Amino acid sequence: MKKLVIAHLYPREMNIYGDLGNVITLKKRLEWRGYGVEVRPVEIGEPFDFGEVDLVFGGGGQDSGQLIMGEDLISRGNDLRQMAFDGVPMLVICGTYQLFGRGFTTLEGQEIPGIDVFRASTIGGRTRMIGNVVIDSPFGELVGFENHSGQTILEPGQAALGEVRKGHGNNPKSRQEGAVSENAIGTYLHGPVLPKNPGLADHLLLAAVRRRWQVTELEPLDDRRELAAARVAAGRPR
Amino acid sequence: MVAGGRDRTYNGGMSVLLTLAITKTAARLSRVLGRGGGQALPGLMAERLDPHLARKLAAGLPHGVIVVTGTNGKTTTTKLIAAALEAGGERVLTNSTGSNLKRGVTSALIAAADGRGRLGDYTIGLFEVDEASLRQVAPELLPEHIVVLNLFRDQLDRYGELDTTAALIGQGIAATKARLYLNADDPLVASLAKYAAAPELVNYFGVEGLPVAGKTAHQTATDSDRCPVCRTRLVFSRVFYGHIGHYRCPKGHFARPQPSVAITSVEEAGLGGARFTVAVSGKRSEVKFPLPGTYNLYNALAAMSLAHGLGLEQAKVARTLERTEAAFGRVEQVEIEGRTLCLLLIKNPAGFAQVLDTFLIGRKDLKVLFAINDLDADGRDVSWLWDVPLEALETSGPTVLATGVRATDMAVRLHYAGMEARVVEEFEAALAELLQATPQGETAYILPTYTAMLAIRKLLARKAKMQEVWK
Repeated sequence: MKKLVIAHLYPREMNIYGDLGNVITLKKRLEWRGYGVEVRPVEIGEPFDFGEVDLVFGGGGQDSGQLIMGEDLISRGNDLRQMAFDGVPMLVICGTYQLFGRGFTTLEGQEIPGIDVFRASTIGGRTRMIGNVVIDSPFGELVGFENHSGQTILEPGQAALGEVRKGHGNNPKSRQEGAVSENAIGTYLHGPVLPKNPGLADHLLLAAVRRRWQVTELEPLDDRRELAAARVAAGRPR
Repeated sequence: MVAGGRDRTYNGGMSVLLTLAITKTAARLSRVLGRGGGQALPGLMAERLDPHLARKLAAGLPHGVIVVTGTNGKTTTTKLIAAALEAGGERVLTNSTGSNLKRGVTSALIAAADGRGRLGDYTIGLFEVDEASLRQVAPELLPEHIVVLNLFRDQLDRYGELDTTAALIGQGIAATKARLYLNADDPLVASLAKYAAAPELVNYFGVEGLPVAGKTAHQTATDSDRCPVCRTRLVFSRVFYGHIGHYRCPKGHFARPQPSVAITSVEEAGLGGARFTVAVSGKRSEVKFPLPGTYNLYNALAAMSLAHGLGLEQAKVARTLERTEAAFGRVEQVEIEGRTLCLLLIKNPAGFAQVLDTFLIGRKDLKVLFAINDLDADGRDVSWLWDVPLEALETSGPTVLATGVRATDMAVRLHYAGMEARVVEEFEAALAELLQATPQGETAYILPTYTAMLAIRKLLARKAKMQEVWK
């Protein structure tokens, strides 16, 4: 059986707002198509070989979790940056998304450096951006729930994940949400994002199986439940 | 009786009496107009008219004020404590039917006060207080006793993050000279001891041993497993559920404190409750406690710990616990058309996992209705459903229904856990289907979020045509 390897960054520190659901979703959508899946946790201070990794995931966390993992992430920055450049699919959310950019400057002026996968900087803000989000993206309409006070500003030339139709996204002004570099996707969307946006999930999976086995398409799944839930979510107040 | 009274002199002024007159009239009007019993409105108005009304009224309670806070179990624990206090001869003023924000506490005081601001024969105040509201309530009421049950992720869209919540509770504690009753088995709660006015004011309760850990014990996302001093990951020798267990910092900065009130062994545990041995400052006794689930053992412990701090007689407290009934929406049962419906409130991943562990895991042919709303009181973000280890459920032949505003989200979550749910958006139709799928004499389970619980409870009461079935 063809087996895909998913690296899960800091599952114990960065696991807030149901982001684990993204890993469950990736795994199930592969298993339903006859692939095997192995999820390997990347833990702080422990050696990890990214050589066999097909897909990288990192979730949101509490501020304390982000501080704890930040330093360790820097030590793996070269590996991850090279992989992103080579087209390895990645999904990083909220706190991990912020540190996949240039870094995070907190309200108190503390600087947590990032690993420069995205040309984007984040600064702490006083107001928390909380609520349902709908964006238009190359992967179709995406729905999610945001909950962050960090404001992310993309540099010129850095592609966003999508245009905000409801909610805030990267910051209160730009009407942009997330960032995309090659197959690496950063976003503020919880929900979790993948279960209700199966098109995005399959984009990541297809990129992974294409790189590994030159597979050019994924067997379609019955996504009626997922799309029904997405419709309801999109209709909820901001 | 409770030791340590407070100054009884009532410092009533024109503003108090006027505020009372206005807010009481508003409450009456609101009731007459049928606007939800007028529970929070008087308190809300009082906050504008006289922000210190609660303090002035509470000064009339001779034995002072007790506050219960924490994520899960506030309502149940408050009920247990009230029963123990009443058995000890107290007249207890609570906010048990209202809101647990500051306005709810103030409303309860206004409702109890007469037109001159006197609290009749109430001797003691016992209030459950929302975690984020403690810092507003504590400086007002200056409670003599504060119980902190546990800290889990809950409706995070409202509270920010768990560390923030702990800091908010800490601010509340620091505004008082209260005796603290802390869950020794929850690292974040135990770490709140540092906010006590003096170290000797801190009391701990905890569990020494359980026959078996919950099946979901290691499957729930851990909420706080870091040393509060150096942030190193704590080492757990026992995990009872979530991050509740026996822990220590590997670098020696922090460890589970020794509880003075502890469950030393559990002789029997099942759906009918548990029989356990409790040691209170070394003195052992056996308790038959009718509420099921590990989480309820902690609620009982918290009540016993506080009772001990108040000097109540241990044997009498134990007898009170044995006569407990479930609190509003928490493990309630109702008979309808020859079927038993079991109503189990779900609010957050830890509580949901405990409900699964206690009632659903290992059952074949389950009949279960998940009722998921996303209104403010439920938490507007339904992401948390993915932090619940639903994969642990038996997937052979269950009848699974999903209802509520976010029924479709629950159906997706269940699909990825290997179960197919039928989505029936309306509560009434969903209940009818659940009853139809459940043979006579059997039990079906309803797991609602908060506002779904209120709606379903109302429907069931009408269906059963006998509101008195609800305690």
